[in-house]
Amino acid sequence: MMKLSRRTFTGLVGFAGAASAFGLSACATGPKVVVVGGGFGGATAAKYVKRYLPGANVVLIDAAKTHFTCPFSNTVIGGMNSMAFIERSFDALANKYGITVVTDMVTAIDPVTKVVKTKGGISFGYDKLVVSPGVDLKWGALEGYDEAAAELMPHAWKAGPQTALLRKQLEAMPNGGTVMISAPGNPFRCPPGPYERASLIAYYLKTQKPKSKLIILDAKDAFAKDKLFKEGWEKMYDNIIEWVPAAKNGKVVKVDAKAGVLETDFDKFKPAVANVIPPQSAGAIALSTGLADKSGFCPVDPNTFESTLHKDIFVIGDACTAGEMPKSGYSASSQAKVAAGAIAAMVMGDKPAAMSAINTCYSLLAPDYGISVSGVYSVQDGKIANIKGAGGVSPSGANYQFRKKEADFAGGWYASICQDTWG
Amino acid sequence: MKSYLVAIPVCLGLALVAAPAARAGSANVMADSCAGCHGTGGQSLGAMPAFNTKSADELKKMLRDYRSGAREATIMDRITKGYSEAQLDAIVDYYKK
Ligand SMILES: Cc1cc2nc3c(=O)[nH]c(=O)nc-3n(C[C@H](O)[C@H](O)[C@H](O)COP(=O)(O)OP(=O)(O)OC[C@H]3O[C@@H](n4cnc5c(N)ncnc54)[C@H](O)[C@@H]3O)c2cc1C
Ligand code: HEC
Repeated sequence: MMKLSRRTFTGLVGFAGAASAFGLSACATGPKVVVVGGGFGGATAAKYVKRYLPGANVVLIDAAKTHFTCPFSNTVIGGMNSMAFIERSFDALANKYGITVVTDMVTAIDPVTKVVKTKGGISFGYDKLVVSPGVDLKWGALEGYDEAAAELMPHAWKAGPQTALLRKQLEAMPNGGTVMISAPGNPFRCPPGPYERASLIAYYLKTQKPKSKLIILDAKDAFAKDKLFKEGWEKMYDNIIEWVPAAKNGKVVKVDAKAGVLETDFDKFKPAVANVIPPQSAGAIALSTGLADKSGFCPVDPNTFESTLHKDIFVIGDACTAGEMPKSGYSASSQAKVAAGAIAAMVMGDKPAAMSAINTCYSLLAPDYGISVSGVYSVQDGKIANIKGAGGVSPSGANYQFRKKEADFAGGWYASICQDTWG
Repeated sequence: MKSYLVAIPVCLGLALVAAPAARAGSANVMADSCAGCHGTGGQSLGAMPAFNTKSADELKKMLRDYRSGAREATIMDRITKGYSEAQLDAIVDYYKK
């Protein structure tokens, strides 16, 4: 069996047995770590497993050839950057770190035989598996909002063609049109995201289509950094942005995409452009593998991010439930390092180190106006919680220089985290 | 086919023995979480100040001063409060090793 020839190997591809072929190659060089998803969580996990365990055999599988980041996609929607600005390649992960990058869709994970199968018919055996598929949209959870509806009323909550579509609709809208954003209830990917988007669209309207309006219909009565957003909106977009909370009948309960109508309990609206951000769950592959609980997200050991439902599978990023950590790219990246550290320790027969993580979400209200929220996390009473006294939001009432500095740091953050993740 | 699959754990056993020496200690993961803003190894891009170019003593002093409020900041004051002085020193030592 150890003498498996190239011929046999090729013959095996396409069958579950190929997993053993890959598994065998792991015998020679080190433990086999497979990562599903090359976004903030997955790409960071692949790179840091290699850093902590240089001998590991790391395979990173993503359905797409390149990754479009959601962070800074709102600047594309606002017209400040191009799609190319948010497109990331996996080349450095392959060339600089020796990670095997596979472009294919993972269609099944067998946690018992420890095999991952792809649409392209390849199987990969693993010793440790990292799952970071991000979110999927719950089609139909908002009445009338399905995949076809999203082609007319984009969500743009996964970056890529949806981002470009929303931008195109805004460009085509006449001066004086109304844009509506339907914001979901908690939990969802990037809690400040809808409000950053509203700000940057308002910036575009103010500078290019000043007779236009933007209305946020919200399923909530409060949102991340709301005091700071409202302070900035009052200063810059007073007669452009209107936020309608759930208590004031803001919750969208039904959409008719063909007619271009959004419905709340008591009203119907027909905006020129509708951006519908629907409810979300962990990525489909996490659900079909049985990694999620009834919340639609995946419970994990807070110290290691190992699934509490399936051994040797680590779920990180938006797909997992991580106590007080919000669903953000920074959280996903930080969780990836915790999981990579735990995997390295387990493989070495050590006890994983104490969990330690950071999150920061910068939001732009205009190209020169930034705000932030930050947290430093540890495991307290068995749950991931912010360390008391640390973190929090930018000060209220800060001057122009302070907001401008944070806008510049937001850009520096984006460049730095992309380097840390894919560079 | 089945026999291949059972063989994996046995192989893993071998791999464990042969695993490389790089180890993940607590300071690694704690320190590496700063790289989300400061880049891998502290080489920050754009407006983010890089810190891999400064001496360990300078860095330790800066971090203590952010933590106490003696040094002006937009965000490092909020972040350093999540660590003890000893932890901040250990983070610097990891980046400087
Ligand atoms: C508009 C917007 C703005 C945002 N701004 C910020 C911000 O400023 N800062 C911040 O920290 N966060 C921000 N976020 C949140 C951030 O995008 C997510 O939290 C982050 O992407 C989560 O990382 P992840 O690894 O869990 O998932 P993702 O980054 O979404 O990566 C998932 C990857 O897995 C792949 N995949 C999924 N299923 C499969 C499968 N079955 N087979 C193969 N591949 C698969 C996908 O192709 C994708 O590349 C924003 C989000 C939005 C929507
Ligand atoms: C959210 C992004 C962010 C995170 C996370 C972050 N930093 Fe910073 N860091 C900054 C910014 C911004 C500055 C500039 C000072 C300021 O405005 O707060 C800075 C400044 C510094 C400096 C001073 C560099 C100089 O030359 O002036 C050091 C040292 C530093 N950070 C270390 C760290 C360490 C160690 C961590 C992890 C515990 C960390 N940073 C986490 C954003 C960050």
